[in-house]
Amino acid sequence: MIQFENVTKLYPLGVAALDDVSFTIERNEFTFLVGTSGAGKTTILNLILGYLYPNSGTVIVNDVDISNKKCKGIEDLRKHIGVVFQDFKILQDKDVFENIALGLHIQKLSIKKIKEQVREVLALVGLEGRDQYFPVQLSAGELQRVAIARALCGDRQIILADEPTGNLDPKTTWDIMKIFKKVEEYKTIIIATHNTDVVNSMKKRVIVLKKGKLIKDMKKGGYEL
Amino acid sequence: MKQLLTSIRRTPFQSLAVFSSLILTLFLSLLLIFCINFLYGLLGYVESRPQVTIYFQNEVSEASILNVKGDLEKSGKVESVKYMSKNDAYSLYKQLNKDNPLLLEMVTPDVLPASLEIFAKKPAYLPEIATYLNGVTGKDEVNFQKNVVDKLLSLTSVVRTMSLAFFVFLMLTTIIILMTITHFKVALKKEEIELLRLMGASMRYVRKPFMDQSLFLGFISSTVVYLVFGGILFLIYPSVQGYLSGIQSLFVEIGPYQLTVWPLSFFYAGGLYILLTGFGMGIAGLATYFATRKYLTIQRS
Repeated sequence: MIQFENVTKLYPLGVAALDDVSFTIERNEFTFLVGTSGAGKTTILNLILGYLYPNSGTVIVNDVDISNKKCKGIEDLRKHIGVVFQDFKILQDKDVFENIALGLHIQKLSIKKIKEQVREVLALVGLEGRDQYFPVQLSAGELQRVAIARALCGDRQIILADEPTGNLDPKTTWDIMKIFKKVEEYKTIIIATHNTDVVNSMKKRVIVLKKGKLIKDMKKGGYEL
Repeated sequence: MKQLLTSIRRTPFQSLAVFSSLILTLFLSLLLIFCINFLYGLLGYVESRPQVTIYFQNEVSEASILNVKGDLEKSGKVESVKYMSKNDAYSLYKQLNKDNPLLLEMVTPDVLPASLEIFAKKPAYLPEIATYLNGVTGKDEVNFQKNVVDKLLSLTSVVRTMSLAFFVFLMLTTIIILMTITHFKVALKKEEIELLRLMGASMRYVRKPFMDQSLFLGFISSTVVYLVFGGILFLIYPSVQGYLSGIQSLFVEIGPYQLTVWPLSFFYAGGLYILLTGFGMGIAGLATYFATRKYLTIQRS
């Protein structure tokens, strides 16, 4: 469960990235964060990840209050969160297997378990047999699948995706969204996006942000600004 | 180990720079440590020799000499006093020149003076003992080794001070060089480190490959330095042995232990290796620890 209570985040010079934002995202809920650039979508994701801390208000993730700057347990919390970026953040000097296994090594799994999990997740994202490929040998869509595979691996319960389809063509975008749909029953998924078609078609919860304020929170909503 | 070697292979120039800096520092450090130990061994040897010797004129009776010996022993400033009569001196002379009959024929016990060999408890007592002996009636000559000891003491002291200063300078320079190189490595892996941190890797986990690599290079470079130094010692052994003719061995005292510095004993050589390896790995590990602490810490904003 993710809970924001009256969260305000100010950036230097007093610019409010988030202004008194409150919401709760339940376990295994699929949520879109929408809004124009600078609305505060990425700030919310960074607050959930513990990269930022709020100036006021409370952020609770998996029953851990991470509002305090010096709070302990951020590293453990991050082990349960998978992140997908618009620019994929795939390491160029590592092959597909190594990129996906990165998070599993952190969780200190045995080599056998790591191989099993990577094989499973590669099948899930449709990249069977590509584990030895290097990033230069893959298309943008395939790279994003690798990033999603990495985020899903290792029993990561929360998946945060920041514009995951921002660099992809419409067909590939839908392929990626299908992967998220496959895991939505057992993962909490939060996607920050500008993609109107995706948000309107998926009919999931939509949180609309504008200039740091939460202006709408719809259970089965569409893209509205 | 495979990951470690891959990591070294992927950053060959940085690894070579770390290796070279460590080789230089460790070689000079080993050289300094060995020289200081050798000098201390030499000092110990000189201090353990008869420090003051008084030779008596022929007419002085044995009773008078033994009186002087008694006075010295009562002073509490001497470790031991050895009386060498004319006959003892002659026996020693015969033994030393047994292969030269001509020399033996020329000398009779009357020619050789009786003497007292005095070992002081501390080098500081030497002048006082020498002054007393110079006033003894019937003295022929007083041989006083204070000058040699003083020179060796001051040389050892200067070498030790200079070495300490040089050693600190070397250590700091190496730490700074290694920190800078680690900074480059961290910068090269910035993306991976950020990703690892995002995925919940602890500081310790991120630091581990850097530490492993440094400790490995520290170990390898100290072993290489040790082997090279051992080879050099092996090459110069005959000439040093020739220079030290008559000196069987040199010792240094470390706490309750006495280690043979020359010729190299197993324990001293082993101790040097452990010390060098510990220092090499320590300095590399410390520099990496500081560098990673400085460059890996991500503050929440």
